[in-house]
Amino acid sequence: MSLFDIWLGILQGLGTTAAVTAYGLVFAVPFALVFGIAQYLTQGVARLLVTGVIEFWRSSAVIILLFIFYYALPVVGITLSAMTVSAMVLGLNAGGYASQAVRAGLQALPPGQREAGAALGLSRPAILLLIELPQALVAMSPTFVNTLIQLVKATALVSLVTLTDMTFRAKEIAQVEYNPVAIYTALLLAFFVVCYPIALAGRWLEARVAAPGSRSRGI
Amino acid sequence: MGFDLAFALSSVPTILGAVGTTLCVALVSCIGAAAIGFFFEMVRRAGGIAGLTVGFVIDFIRSTPVLAWLYFLYFVLPFYGIRLGSMTVGVMGLSLYYSGYLAEVFKAGIDAIPKGQSEAARALSLSRRDAVIHVIAPQMLRNIAAPLGNYFVSILKATPYLAVLAVPEMLGRAFDIASETYRYTEPLVVAGLIFLALALVISHGVKRLERRLLAVGAR
Repeated sequence: MSLFDIWLGILQGLGTTAAVTAYGLVFAVPFALVFGIAQYLTQGVARLLVTGVIEFWRSSAVIILLFIFYYALPVVGITLSAMTVSAMVLGLNAGGYASQAVRAGLQALPPGQREAGAALGLSRPAILLLIELPQALVAMSPTFVNTLIQLVKATALVSLVTLTDMTFRAKEIAQVEYNPVAIYTALLLAFFVVCYPIALAGRWLEARVAAPGSRSRGI
Repeated sequence: MGFDLAFALSSVPTILGAVGTTLCVALVSCIGAAAIGFFFEMVRRAGGIAGLTVGFVIDFIRSTPVLAWLYFLYFVLPFYGIRLGSMTVGVMGLSLYYSGYLAEVFKAGIDAIPKGQSEAARALSLSRRDAVIHVIAPQMLRNIAAPLGNYFVSILKATPYLAVLAVPEMLGRAFDIASETYRYTEPLVVAGLIFLALALVISHGVKRLERRLLAVGAR
């Protein structure tokens, strides 16, 4: 097997890596928005419950969560595909991190923004939707990009629950070919090729968001 | 076949017996990551070709999954005749992976010190070494203490990755019980809960430390 064959063999898993990431975002984005906003708006017992759910997904060791849901859901009668379980666990874990960015972004806005909305006679949902969220999400966009990179990298875990992603392909190739240096270097490079452009995009975004006179800070 | 509480409780002592290994691995990895990360950041700050190279290495590490690094070290080192225990390899992998993140922590910690501090040190004709030891480092330590604590929690939550290298930490013990009894749910849930409890307690401690440091810094 030439180096090129090894490289191509690992890239055969790129589809699964991309699918788990995309499917994971389906869980991560709504979770981050709903729970981030809920944590910002609620108080007392309700806030405690919201924080509890967020902390469960955010502070648990994601590899253990994945195994628990992979092995335990069938025991209680819920059979989901390995893909669905992986996307859910990795997605909600990433969503837990992102929810903190949503909440922090909302909290960082000057209270004058909300008060101005109220003075204009806007309802609370309208203030949130039209004034607060757009500013908070723009300000936090670099953090979301970082969370996306973490999600892509976390998909390497799905190789442990039988999905043939890039990491799984590397291990398969390693069984027929004793060339660990080439195989695992190629695996690292494959992830680098996927994640580094996202990181660069995040840096560009960060420079734009932080630019003086950008619209969100100009008022 | 639901969740057997009695069986779960009976697995607690075995899994909890590995909590020392888990904490030790996390602590040593964190110290290793901090040492490598500090070295990386110093070289990067110095600039030149070495600085650019190290900057790229940091980006590379941050763009690749920890699992891929663990496999890389575990299979590539023996290829070059370097035979180390799986725990040593695991600690090396975690140290290397998190050094990329801690380098950024050191960078932020140093950047946050006002320029006047190093200028004043120079005006007092302190040597560069004395300036770093007596002026920069103490202030940097205050800036990095909280992020360092947060990364310790991240590293702690990454220690179960070492189970794939057969390191006898808590997830490894849980799988040992699972393969003996063919019951996965209970030991995995127990391991997950112990990790969650550790992460929450340490995070809480870090938050309190952060508040105290902020109070000291405001004086």
